[in-house]
Amino acid sequence: MASSASPLKTTATGYATYQGREGHYAFLLHRLTGLGVLLFLIIHILDTSTVYFYPELYEHAIALYRSTPFMLGEIGLVFAVIYHGVNGLRIAVTDLWMPKRWAIQTQRNAVRITLAISVLLWAPAALWMTYNMLLHNHGINLLPFIGTH
Amino acid sequence: MKPRFEAIAWRAMRYSGILLIPLAWFHVYLQDVIVGVHAIDINYVAVRLANTGWVVYNFLLLAFAFAHGMYGLRQVSFDFVRSERGRRNVSILLLVLWLVISLIGAIALIGGARPELITH
Repeated sequence: MASSASPLKTTATGYATYQGREGHYAFLLHRLTGLGVLLFLIIHILDTSTVYFYPELYEHAIALYRSTPFMLGEIGLVFAVIYHGVNGLRIAVTDLWMPKRWAIQTQRNAVRITLAISVLLWAPAALWMTYNMLLHNHGINLLPFIGTH
Repeated sequence: MKPRFEAIAWRAMRYSGILLIPLAWFHVYLQDVIVGVHAIDINYVAVRLANTGWVVYNFLLLAFAFAHGMYGLRQVSFDFVRSERGRRNVSILLLVLWLVISLIGAIALIGGARPELITH
């Protein structure tokens, strides 16, 4: 592509202004969740490796993961992993076995369904993680009848 | 890069993605939701690293999830880097990063934790 405009600007503009509705949002969310999970994965491989290379450091990593900002990040991470999987399944199954279903209207519906499934799978996990975060970090027990351990 | 590589990678991304749904979801639900970070300490990890089954499981995650992620990053970066030379440089950089970090993870998985770290 011999263009005078920088590819960075061209792509960023395309990402922002393309009016593909559901398919466009699914694409952006797939990339965002994929990059987010990869960023965490790199950190996670390295921090878990400290158990072998430098175990004294591991406790520091875990203490960080237990903090409220990181736990909020982990709740987001769980959504990212779930959404990237559900939406990836839509892409993989359509590409590999039913390419005829790559019709805009079919996929608009499919995208709505992937989002609904993702939220349904994520919500119980998010609520449970929030409960644990408030309990351990802030001393708030939202489910006093369960008791603490 | 040869078109044959891209065609194989295209399929590999879809098949590894499908495989990662049970593999990564179970891992995340187990460690982040059911067990939770407040119950994870070095003893917990040391016990799991002493179990061959979990080490194999972690190897599968390291191999498939990380390769899937790094190839995905390559695809995303190709949206922004259009020149043949730029794409070649990005590919080499990501390949080296992938190999180095995979190697660190693999060594740690094989090495495991010192036995005295298992305290209970």
